[in-house]
Amino acid sequence: MSKLVSGLALLALGAATTWAGTQGVGSVPPLNALLSPSVGLWINAQDDLPALAKGQIPGLADSVHITYDSRSVPHIFAASDLDAIRALGYVVARDRLFQLEVQSRAGEGTLTELVGDVALPADQETRHLGMPRAAEMRMRTMEPTGKLTQVLQAYADGINAYRTSLSTAQLPVEYKLLQKTPREWKPIHSMHLLNRMGYTLAHAPVELDLVEARATIGDSAARAIFDSDSPVQEPIQPAPRNAPREALTTMPAPGAPDTSAVRLLASLTSGGGTGPLRWSRDSAGTREERTAIQQERAFASNNWAVSPSRSATGKALLAGDPHLELTLPSIWYEVHLVVPGVMDVGGVTIPGLPGVTIGYTRAFAWSFTNTGADVMDFWRETVDNAARPTRYELDGQPQPFVDTRVEQYKDKAGKVFATDTVFYTHRGPMRRQGREWLSMRWTVLEAGNELLGFYGGIHATSATAFLDSMALYYAAPAQNMIVGDTSGTIAIRSTGTYPIRADSGRGTEIREGRFRKNDWIGFRTVAQYPQSARPTQGFLASANQEPIDPEYDRLYFGVDGHYEIWRALQINRLLRADSSMTADKMRQFQTNPGSVRADRLVPAFVAAGNARLAQGETSASLKAAVAMLAGWDRRYVKENTGARIFETALGHVTMQLYDELLPAGKDTRVATPSESRLLQLITDSANGWWDDRRTPNVREDRDRLLASALAWAYDTLVTQFGDPAMTPWTWGRTTPARPAHLLKLDGFSAPATPIDGGRGTLNPSVAAKRANFGSSWRMVVEFASQPIIHATYPGGQSGNPASPRYLDRLPLWAVGTLDSVRTPHTPAELAPADVRATLSLTKPAMPSTTK
Amino acid sequence: MKPSLFVTALVLQVAALAFGGIWGAVGAGVLIGLAMRSGGAFRTGFLTALLATALLLGVAAVRGAPIMHFAGMIGGNFKLSAGALLAVTLLLPALQSGGIAGGIGRLTRAR
Repeated sequence: MSKLVSGLALLALGAATTWAGTQGVGSVPPLNALLSPSVGLWINAQDDLPALAKGQIPGLADSVHITYDSRSVPHIFAASDLDAIRALGYVVARDRLFQLEVQSRAGEGTLTELVGDVALPADQETRHLGMPRAAEMRMRTMEPTGKLTQVLQAYADGINAYRTSLSTAQLPVEYKLLQKTPREWKPIHSMHLLNRMGYTLAHAPVELDLVEARATIGDSAARAIFDSDSPVQEPIQPAPRNAPREALTTMPAPGAPDTSAVRLLASLTSGGGTGPLRWSRDSAGTREERTAIQQERAFASNNWAVSPSRSATGKALLAGDPHLELTLPSIWYEVHLVVPGVMDVGGVTIPGLPGVTIGYTRAFAWSFTNTGADVMDFWRETVDNAARPTRYELDGQPQPFVDTRVEQYKDKAGKVFATDTVFYTHRGPMRRQGREWLSMRWTVLEAGNELLGFYGGIHATSATAFLDSMALYYAAPAQNMIVGDTSGTIAIRSTGTYPIRADSGRGTEIREGRFRKNDWIGFRTVAQYPQSARPTQGFLASANQEPIDPEYDRLYFGVDGHYEIWRALQINRLLRADSSMTADKMRQFQTNPGSVRADRLVPAFVAAGNARLAQGETSASLKAAVAMLAGWDRRYVKENTGARIFETALGHVTMQLYDELLPAGKDTRVATPSESRLLQLITDSANGWWDDRRTPNVREDRDRLLASALAWAYDTLVTQFGDPAMTPWTWGRTTPARPAHLLKLDGFSAPATPIDGGRGTLNPSVAAKRANFGSSWRMVVEFASQPIIHATYPGGQSGNPASPRYLDRLPLWAVGTLDSVRTPHTPAELAPADVRATLSLTKPAMPSTTK
Repeated sequence: MKPSLFVTALVLQVAALAFGGIWGAVGAGVLIGLAMRSGGAFRTGFLTALLATALLLGVAAVRGAPIMHFAGMIGGNFKLSAGALLAVTLLLPALQSGGIAGGIGRLTRAR
């Protein structure tokens, strides 16, 4: 009997462990599959880039030879451009298969099918914005035998050839963790990814911010504090310029609420106020977190170029460093494609897009920064039935909707668990916002030929021909495209579709939808794009500032106010000061710790603190803070101990200064004005903005508020980091960079990495709680007889966390060093010691036919 | 237990874990349980699965896999240390195989 009992008990133990191991328990995943030494995660720890490998791609016209250099960059040598694209799909999938899927699903609004219902808010926002519908329409209107179709299909063939070659054991770790398998890659997935880039770079609805601000502080104060024109102008055009233009006019103080805005706001926010005017995926964050995300998203990018006249070698120079979310794997994958006599192009591709996004040919090199232009507008529609609309009014006539889509959201098992409906007017998707129905028009939804621009561009032979190819096809997201070539030409053009509103209007207003006359009336022509070529000043630079001075061109451009002017000022300051530029100096500029922002604002803090102390203020914290800040050289090097207290104090000033933007009874500021507004307010010490309305019997001024923020910051940091005399608040320790895994898995994210740089500097790469943006790719080019490239990015070529190639570039990136990029014409040009692996791709043998 | 029997069970276990995927330890446990009705099935199933797993991880390490480093990364996602994750990796098939082998061995002996 006892044997029976113990036997049953042991059997139960074995069965229970097996059941738990295969099914998972609660939040514990099925460990059998994950930890099995034969099919689990451990398999992924084995070498993922064998020295010699072979693969097959159906449709390949000829064999393709791929050599991975010592930096793990695949050099693809193919006989035709389509074969090169097939091979590109294959090598990208080999290193980034999971990233391909997660990024395209993000643009398709089907993340829930991969990661579960946690992604529902993100998917809903994507669908409500009309992104998947736009991709489908683009595919339907594409010429079936056109070049774009061929390129997208070739790329898909390469990805799928690699995908289908994998056994379950060889799947990327993320699929094993999620218990999913990779889906088939279709050409439309590249279109979803393009839309996703449009969302990242050109989605910034500001209309509700302005209505809320007007309803809180009155019309004139709101329009002044949220004016999209910066008070300091350092634009791309006009060039040349000798100095920035400053217009530090007096800001109107907060006033009484605007009653019409109050009524509109009540209607827009009725019932919670969710809708197209909100960024729904961030709705869970606190006020501070949302502000941080908005500001970090706008860290954006730098690029600049120097003419031969100002370079030490007499050759043109170019530098670019796009600032995007720092993920692991990186958004970028470095490649080089050679088709003799047809194309020779290298640089970085975004996994999912069949081409090189930023890079070089034998004749020229290019880089992008985001324009941040306002390319998304909203209209209040009048519908026949507010609960279930079937028509909308236009010029007095009821109009049927252009489309009505029922969006279905599926879980990981493919079962529909949520649905909603999106209506489409002639303008675009229409969604409910409070009691209003708002339709939207967005240039991203009307784009689609960008890849043709790139395709034509890489076949160009000069800088200007590249820009012209892009201007012909490129619509969104609008980019400041800088380019230089071996003939010494440098040029920049802010390329993209820019709407022109009726009545010289601005894109910050919600327009009346009942009349067609309120629609967009056209677009800027290419001649109206901000641009400059071969400038007499000898250099060009963009850093997401307003690309054209509004005094020079009054046509509304509407750059997002979170794109601060500081980096543009710093680059131009550095470039003006040196007429003997070298590639290495440009490399150092990319991590230059100098900050115009600190140079302009720190003296105001120190002066305010000293003034308060002279008036009898006795706070020991204030004394210590002033001493700390006064002793700082205002450079964001890793070892400095002043930047942390400056950033904390400035954050507190923002909260105190803009307390008027807190609607009564709410704890969320309607929006945060651009930091450049501080320059105007600091010159006006008694402006009503400085007064804290929560202390009705005291009228605060600039010095009182700045000094109290300093003392508050000192006390806060003592609590957070300890006594600075014992443990100095060094910048690198308190504010490191930390690229995070795509799924935000701590174990697969990078360690905290101290760097030189911070907000407002040319290297704003710091980690925050909910956002993590920074310099995602750095490239410096010297144009000798052909471009000489130096570059790197944070992370590594492999998307496999167990791979030695997952994080191998991070240490160099952290100290601002760049790798020498290899550009062989043939496989034999790479020295044997520089070859890490090779891959031969052939087409599968034809199956033999027997009777 | 005869050493030869243990070695045979170990070879079986290695093969089962290497080629049997997530059901390898279960399959080996069944066979060991049936073969060792006279006693020691739990011990043999447990120890051979433990050793076989360690052996397979060792082979991966010899081929260059950074086992401890990767264990730390995976463990970091579950708030586990590298050592704890390795222990779970070793114990899971051992408990499955041992439990099933021991259960089958005793039940068939009881009959």
